[in-house]
Amino acid sequence: MKRLYALILASLALAAGIALIQTRSPTTFAVGQGRVLPAEWLQPNPNPATPKADIRPADQTFLTFPEWFLVFSPEEQALAFQNRTSTAFPFMAHVAQFWQSYRIVNDQIKDAFPVNASYHVMICVIGVSTTVEYALKATYEALVGRLTDTGAPITAEDRYNAEYMADYVAFIKDHPWYEFDYSTRFKSLWTSTPLVGGSFMRKMERRYFLTTELIAKLLYAKLIGFGTHQAYDRPLPTTAVVLVKDSLVHLPRYDRFAQAAGTLAARGEAFKEIAGNTSAILLSVLVPAYGPTAFEDSRTLFTQPLASDPTRKRVVLAAPVPFLDRLLVRLGQANLPVEHVFDY
Amino acid sequence: MAWNDKLPVSYLLFTPKGRINRFTYWSTSVFIWPSFYVLFNLLGWLSPSATWLIYPPLFWALYCTATKRLHDGNRSAHWLWMLFLPIAGPLVIIFLLGFMKGTFQGNRFGPNPDAAPDYFKNPDAEKIPNLKSEERIVNDVTQLNPVLVSKVAAPQTIEELRDIIRTTDKFICIGGGRFSMGGQTASPNALHIDMRKLDKVIAFSPGERTIKVQAGIRWCDIQKHVDAHDLSIKVMQTYANFTVGGSLSVNCHGRYIGLGPVILSVRSLDAILANGDLVHASPTENPDIFFACVGCYNAIAVIAQVELDLEANVAVRRSHVKMRRDTYKQYFFSKVRENKDVVFHNGDIYPPLYRNMRAVIWIRTVEKPTVKTRLMPLAAAYPLERYFIGAFSKSAFGKWRREYLIDPLVFAVKRIHYRNYEAGYDVLELEPESRKQCTYVLQEYFVAVEKFDAFSTLMAEIFQRHKVNVINVSIRHAKADSGSLLAWAKEEVFAFVVWYKQGTADADKGAVAVWTRELIDAALSQGGSYYLPYQPHATAEQFHRAYPRAKQLFALKKKLDPSFKFRNVLWDTYYKAD
Ligand SMILES: Cc1cc2nc3c(=O)[nH]c(=O)nc-3n(C[C@H](O)[C@H](O)[C@H](O)COP(=O)(O)OP(=O)(O)OC[C@H]3O[C@@H](n4cnc5c(N)ncnc54)[C@H](O)[C@@H]3O)c2cc1C
Repeated sequence: MKRLYALILASLALAAGIALIQTRSPTTFAVGQGRVLPAEWLQPNPNPATPKADIRPADQTFLTFPEWFLVFSPEEQALAFQNRTSTAFPFMAHVAQFWQSYRIVNDQIKDAFPVNASYHVMICVIGVSTTVEYALKATYEALVGRLTDTGAPITAEDRYNAEYMADYVAFIKDHPWYEFDYSTRFKSLWTSTPLVGGSFMRKMERRYFLTTELIAKLLYAKLIGFGTHQAYDRPLPTTAVVLVKDSLVHLPRYDRFAQAAGTLAARGEAFKEIAGNTSAILLSVLVPAYGPTAFEDSRTLFTQPLASDPTRKRVVLAAPVPFLDRLLVRLGQANLPVEHVFDY
Repeated sequence: MAWNDKLPVSYLLFTPKGRINRFTYWSTSVFIWPSFYVLFNLLGWLSPSATWLIYPPLFWALYCTATKRLHDGNRSAHWLWMLFLPIAGPLVIIFLLGFMKGTFQGNRFGPNPDAAPDYFKNPDAEKIPNLKSEERIVNDVTQLNPVLVSKVAAPQTIEELRDIIRTTDKFICIGGGRFSMGGQTASPNALHIDMRKLDKVIAFSPGERTIKVQAGIRWCDIQKHVDAHDLSIKVMQTYANFTVGGSLSVNCHGRYIGLGPVILSVRSLDAILANGDLVHASPTENPDIFFACVGCYNAIAVIAQVELDLEANVAVRRSHVKMRRDTYKQYFFSKVRENKDVVFHNGDIYPPLYRNMRAVIWIRTVEKPTVKTRLMPLAAAYPLERYFIGAFSKSAFGKWRREYLIDPLVFAVKRIHYRNYEAGYDVLELEPESRKQCTYVLQEYFVAVEKFDAFSTLMAEIFQRHKVNVINVSIRHAKADSGSLLAWAKEEVFAFVVWYKQGTADADKGAVAVWTRELIDAALSQGGSYYLPYQPHATAEQFHRAYPRAKQLFALKKKLDPSFKFRNVLWDTYYKAD
C-alpha cells in the first residue's frame, strides 16, 4: 500500500499541475480586479416613482446573471448540436465560466448592497447541480461517448438530442426549467425515434445516455419543483419602466425585455427607472471574437469567448438606467446583438 | 489492511483476482482517475488520437478493481452487467463498489482482505441452513465430494483429542487441511475431527536439527518458525498449505533429490489408537504402529504429534533444459541423481503430444538471491509474473503456446532464492474462480525408475485416446520407502503427477473413472502403483495389487480398531469389502 500511496500522491500532484496549466488559458476575462463600476452607479433610488409592487432590488440585475448563464449554456449547446454531437462539447469550460462570472458580478455588489443570502444559496444550488451534471457528462463523453462518436450528428438519437435542447432553451426563456416536460420527451425517444439505422453502436449508446439524462432530470425536476413552489412566490411576468416623459409602461420581463427596451430606445425614448431602479443595469452582448469590448456610457465587467463557437464572444457590461437608451441605440447601430438585459 | 500491504500495485490494478475492501477501492480510484486525467491531457497535447492509448489500461484497471470489490461482497464480476440498466444500474454498482461492506468471513473469492495474510485454507465444514442438529457437510478442495457428517469437533489439546476418540460411540473421520481429493477426510454420519487447531510447536532444536509439532500444524507454520534459524523442512510437498498429519498419513513427497517419501524424515510420532491410548512409535520403537500410521490414512490411529528432521536452508539457483522424453532417463541418471548439489528437481512433460520435456533443477548456490524475501510472498500477493503462470496453468489456454512461448519466457529469467522459498507455494495459485462446471484434479502414478519410458508411453497413449484435458505431467524422483504398510515407493521410483481438468457432471466423473482405471492398470503392468489421496476410482483388486501389504494393515486394523471406528472413503471402499 505504501507504493500505492506514493503513486496517489504523484498522480494528484501531476493532476494539480495540469489543472494549473489549464487555468492559464482562462475561459472568462475580467476587465479589472474587484469592483470596476463607479460607486455612484450603485446608489439606491431614494424616491422611486414606480409603484411599490413593481419595484425589485437593484442588485438583482447582477445576481440574475448566473441563472441566465444556465440559459445561455443550453442555447450554445442547441446551436452546436446541429453540426456536432454533444460528445465534443466543452462542458467543463461552461462550468468554469459559470463560477468565474458569478464571482465577478458578485464583486460589483458585495460592498454596495446588503447580502441577499437566499439568492446566493439559490445560485449555489443551481451552480453545484449544474457542475455535477456537466462533470458527469464530460466524464461519460470522454470515457464512453468518444468510443461511439460519429462527429456530425448522423444518428436519429443525436439529432433528437439537438432538437430536445432547442425546445428546452425555448421553454426555459419563459418558464422555470423544472416545468419542462421530460416524461413526454422520454416516451418519444423510445416511441418515435427509429430503432434501426446506421451506426448501431452509437444509436444504442445514445439511447442509454439520453434515457439516463431524461429520467435523471425528470426526477430532479420533480424534487426541485416541489421545493420551489413552497419556498418562492411566482415571479411577476412584467417589468415596470418609467420613461423620462414620466409615463409608466409595463414591458415583458426576461428574454423579451431586451427587444422591447431596444424598440423604445430606437423610438427616442429614454429610461428613468426600471423596476424602480436608477442604478446600473447589466447586459450581455454577443460580439465577434476580435470585435470591440468597450462601449461609451457603460463599463465592461468581463468577456467570455463562446466555448462552443470560437468566432464569437460574450461581452458583459453595465450602464446606469438613464444611459441605457443611448447604449442600446449604439449597439444597434454597430449591429451587435444584445443577448440579454438583466431586468432585475 | 494487513493482507493488502503485501499486494504489489500492479496486482491491485491489473488482476481481477481476490478481494479488496472499500478503503482500498477508494484509494485505487483516487489513483486511477487523476492518472487518467493527467495522461489524457499530456497525450492530448501531443495529438488527440494519442489519447486512445490509455483507454485499454484504464478500462482494464476499472474492471479489475471493480471485480475485486464485488468479490469482497461475494459477488461475481457479472454484476457489472447492471451498468447497462440506465440510472438504477450505475447507482447500485456505485453503492456496491464504494459503500457496501465486504463479507466478514472468507468467501469463494478469497479471505477477508482485512485478515492477517495467510495461506489458502479450506473453509470450515458447511452448516446446513435451518438445521438444528449438529450435522455438517464436509467437503475437500475439489468441492466434488460433499459428505454429511453427524458433527464436527475441533480439539485444541491432545488430551481433548484423546477424550473425543475414547468416548465417542460414533465412527470417526479425520480432516487435516482437506486437500486430499476423494473423500479421504470424511465418512457418512461419522464424527469429523478437524485437526487444524492442534497447531503448536512442542519442541525445536536447531542444533539437533529436529522439530516436534502437533499434527494439525501446517508446513507454512513450521517454515515461519525455523526460517530464522536457517533451517528448512527436509521433505514436504511443493505447496505449504498441508498439515503435517495429513502429509504423513499419505506419506507425501516433494521434488527433492536424494530423498523420497516423507517417512524418511520422520524421527518418531505419537499416535492415538481407537481406544484412546497414546503410543509413541518410531522405526525402532513400536515399528508395527509406526509403519501402519505413516502412509496409512488414519487406518489404525490418529497421528497426534510428530518429530521431524530438518535440513539447512540453502540458497538454490534454477536451471533448466528442454529435451525429448525418451532421453530424460539417461539425462536424469547422468546429471541429476548423483549430483549432491541438486536440491529440487522435476521434469514437465508437455501435453498434448507428450514428446518433449523440460527438466528443471534447483542447485545449491552461494550466489545472492534474486528476490528480496526469504519466504515466498503469499499467492494473493504474487507479482504479475506468478499470476500469469498461475493463470496459464489453470486454463487449458494453448498448450502449444505454453511450451513454445510462455515457458521459454518464464525460464529465461534468472532465479535464485532459498530452499524455504521454493517450498512455500500456496495452493491458491491453482484455485480456479469457480469449480461449478469444471474442476482441476490431480492424479499420481509411480513406477520403478527403469520403467520410465515404458510407462510414459502407455500413459500418453491413454490420455490421447480418451482426449483427457491434461494441463501438466510433472515427473519427480523418490528413493524406496523404509517400510510403510501402504508404501507407494516399494523401490526407487519415478512419480508421474498428472494435473488435469474435468467436468463436474456425473457423466464426466464416469469418464474419468474409466481412463483412471486404465492408467492404474498401465502402472500395475510395470510393477508400479498409484497415489491414494486422489479420487478412489481403483477397483479393490487394483488397490491390493498396488498395495500388497494392505492385507497386513487390515489385519492390524481388525486388532486395534475392532469396532471399525476410524473410517473414510478408503476404508469404506476397500476395508469394508474385505
Ligand atoms: C494442489 C495440490 C498439490 C499437491 N502436491 C503434492 C505433492 O507435491 N506431493 C504429494 O505427495 N502430495 C501432493 N498433494 C497431495 C497432498 O499431499 C495430500 O492431499 C495431503 O493429504 C494433503 O494434506 P492435508 O493436510 O490436506 O490432509 P487431508 O486431506 O486433510 O487428509 C489426508 C488423509 O490423512 C488423514 N489425516 C489427516 N490428518 C491426520 C492425522 N493427524 N492423523 C491421522 N490421519 C490424518 C485424513 O483422514 C485423510 O485420510 C497435493 C495436493 C494438492 C491439492
